[in-house]
Amino acid sequence: MKNFKLFILLTTAITGFNSCSEEEDAIQLLPVQTKQITNLHAPQSGGMGQPVSGDFVKFNFSTGETTTNDKEWDIAFRGTSIIVNGGTSLETIDEPNRTGKGAVYIASGTMASVTEIDTTLLTQDSESNYAILTGGGNGWYDYAGPPTHLISPIAGKILVFKTHDGLYAKVEILSYYKDSPSQPDAFKDGPNYYTFNYVYQPNKGIVIFE
Amino acid sequence: MLNKFYIILIILTYSQSLNSQEKEKMVNDSVKIRKLEQVIVSATRVKRQFSSLPLPAQIILNKEIRTTNSIRLSDLLNEQTGLITVSDFGGGEGIQLQGLDSQYTLILIDGLPVIGRSAGTLDLNRINTGNVQQIEVVKGASSSLYGSEALGGVINIITKMPKDGLNSSLDYSLSTFNSQDLSFNLNTKIKQFGILFFINNHISDGYDLLDGDFQQTVEPFKNHTLNTKLTYNISEKILLTASFKNYIETQNNVVSKSLNGESEINEWTNLFKIDHSFNENIKSTFEFYTARYQAKEYLNDISGNLFSKSSFDQVLIKPELRSTFSLDKQNSFIGGIGLTSERIDRVEFIDTPKFNSTYAYIQYDGYFNNNTSLILGARFDNHNVYNSQFSPKAAIRVKINNNFSIKSSIGYGFKAPDFRQLYFNFSNATFGYTVLGYNAVSKIIPQLKSEGQLASIIVPISNFDNELKAENAISFNFGINYSPSSKFKLDINFFRNDIKDLIDTQVIAQKTNGQNVFSYYNIARVFTEGLELNSLWKINNNVAISGGYQLLIAKDKETEIQFKNGNIYARLNPSSPSFQLNSNDYFGLFNRSRHMGNIKIFYNIPKWNLETNLRVTYRTKYGLSDTNGNNSLDKYDNFVNPYSIWSMDVTKTLYTKYQIGYGVKNIFDFKDPQNISNIAGKIIYIKFNINL
Repeated sequence: MKNFKLFILLTTAITGFNSCSEEEDAIQLLPVQTKQITNLHAPQSGGMGQPVSGDFVKFNFSTGETTTNDKEWDIAFRGTSIIVNGGTSLETIDEPNRTGKGAVYIASGTMASVTEIDTTLLTQDSESNYAILTGGGNGWYDYAGPPTHLISPIAGKILVFKTHDGLYAKVEILSYYKDSPSQPDAFKDGPNYYTFNYVYQPNKGIVIFE
Repeated sequence: MLNKFYIILIILTYSQSLNSQEKEKMVNDSVKIRKLEQVIVSATRVKRQFSSLPLPAQIILNKEIRTTNSIRLSDLLNEQTGLITVSDFGGGEGIQLQGLDSQYTLILIDGLPVIGRSAGTLDLNRINTGNVQQIEVVKGASSSLYGSEALGGVINIITKMPKDGLNSSLDYSLSTFNSQDLSFNLNTKIKQFGILFFINNHISDGYDLLDGDFQQTVEPFKNHTLNTKLTYNISEKILLTASFKNYIETQNNVVSKSLNGESEINEWTNLFKIDHSFNENIKSTFEFYTARYQAKEYLNDISGNLFSKSSFDQVLIKPELRSTFSLDKQNSFIGGIGLTSERIDRVEFIDTPKFNSTYAYIQYDGYFNNNTSLILGARFDNHNVYNSQFSPKAAIRVKINNNFSIKSSIGYGFKAPDFRQLYFNFSNATFGYTVLGYNAVSKIIPQLKSEGQLASIIVPISNFDNELKAENAISFNFGINYSPSSKFKLDINFFRNDIKDLIDTQVIAQKTNGQNVFSYYNIARVFTEGLELNSLWKINNNVAISGGYQLLIAKDKETEIQFKNGNIYARLNPSSPSFQLNSNDYFGLFNRSRHMGNIKIFYNIPKWNLETNLRVTYRTKYGLSDTNGNNSLDKYDNFVNPYSIWSMDVTKTLYTKYQIGYGVKNIFDFKDPQNISNIAGKIIYIKFNINL
């Protein structure tokens, strides 16, 4: 695990000098956008030992909506997988090509405590892994296993994204089940329904969320 | 080869001179010897006075088993201080002792291990109490005498032995859920021959706590137990014992509307034993024990075609030779050597693994200065798969005055990695994840990789070059006994268990289907500590009250540090944002109540030949799983509510030979269907007993 973290660190150190250093006029700053998205439905086909397929549901932070545009999307969801619009495709069935500058890292903290982006940690998807690792306990969720089989977002994990056009957003995933039930049942409550809070920094080059 | 061994042994025993009477040797710590002194065998492998034992222990007498009509061993143990049964999702019910999980308590019948832990838990419901003499519970690590698994303690179920005369009894009980239990006991000793015969038949419709699904919580089942014991006194000094036990259980197996079948457990144990008293001071026992546990289950689909089947087949062979040497009335030694050979055949294992271990132990039991007892012991286990273990133990008890004594013990305990943790190769058909035993990793990972099933390897295979270590613990107990009169006694015991190298699972690779490959590794350090209190007050000949209480703190040491460093977050409800937790928010390990207690009142009415009792057990809240997204139990999680269970029994004796009993277990019909599957609700029973 440690080796893996080191690996991420190294790759980001080598490839990650892409943050913008231009300073924009402070007077012209747009307000930071805070929003909650409920029940973003991102089903998948296959799985359970079979190859996974199905369209990723793409999301754009600046519009705050899902999109079918092949280029202007920031992140995309399918089942428990979240991909970014940056890097290389893992080449699963129906997986979109990456065309943007998207990247991500997972910070420990609360939405309020993650105020500054550490751009050295940003990682892009690769042909061997999504930047947000799949599997319980590796990325944004825990998988309870039998008998409940619940997928629960890990508390204190804030996903910090670089958007396809080089801006930043932070996301806290709250629920994977329809209407965020207080005691979800993996068999009765519809899975693949994302509810998340996000904060979007619409100003280029600003690495803080103020 | 073994036959030869027997012959040699028998010749050997014959060639000894026969010149003294067999006599029970006991260390007396008091000038007055009470007539009915309680004895315990689990602590020293020979009958030993219980009151002067320097170890924390409990004895459940046959009388309590009888008057509370505890057919299931789990019912009985649940009412003892500091013991609670916990059910796993496979339906097995195991015992938690001093806050340690069931795989860390060794379960013995007549000093010999019970096998068949298919998922770590040994299901106590397999053990029938119909021919039990007494149950001994020794707390604290006992690997110095018993080796692996005795990390937290030992529960030894002592069954009856043939007695002089001819005794037989017939027992029948009928209770809620159409449960019927029928037993026949025959016990006789004619000159040198002793025979004990026990047969039990139990059927039940099971029960269902959750309506509206296709399954019952416990499906209908039936089981049979057969136990025979033959004893033969070759001479006054040599006793031969042959014992045979068979247990068969069948139960409906329902997984979904369209998939159902049956599961079957078949268990046999055989014991051949020679006890020989060479003289008053030297006695030897040779035991040859074999046990086999088979579990099979199948599922058919809706048209009756076989959908799946699985089997589990475990065999244990265990010869042991042990001797006691009494230097004098105050000092004795016991030493033993033995061999354990074990194999398991299971579909999901990479091969048919075999465990072989040889062991030797020695223990000193001494009494001096008229007030101090001392036990010093150690055992060495040499194993073909895991690292060898040396398990020492020391215990001391000092009598301060006639009313007051203190005792303390410290010991090392271990639990060897089990077959599953080493040889498992299991891929879940529905979800696609894989679990590999530690020793299976180097073989299966390259295989998965060449098949193109792996996306990435997270833990390199070279990390599995070293052996998986046995889980081990140091346990410490300190107790005070206070008994101002024969009518009142109070025992307080402080305990602490520090467990290392606890085996846990970790993700070692990712599969291309997005799921993980898990394997086992030594990681966690855990402790349990607390206080146990037991008291008994005999108000008069007919009324007695007992009370017990346990305070328990059980925590994972790494998690504790994580909380301290502010690395753990939680949510108040699933759609609210995370916030940071601190050390005070950490509750501890799952499935453990901070407080547990029991009160029992026994009341006899001699003029009506009536024995009655009322019992209450209580436990405070506990957590079953993390509910707020941080994998640990904090005070913002959902807890199982505190509960109490009240039970009562009335037994009337008619014409000395007949008994009629009536009772209600769980009078107030407590149930928590979502969280507690092994509490069925109110159970009313009636029973008849005839002593022929």
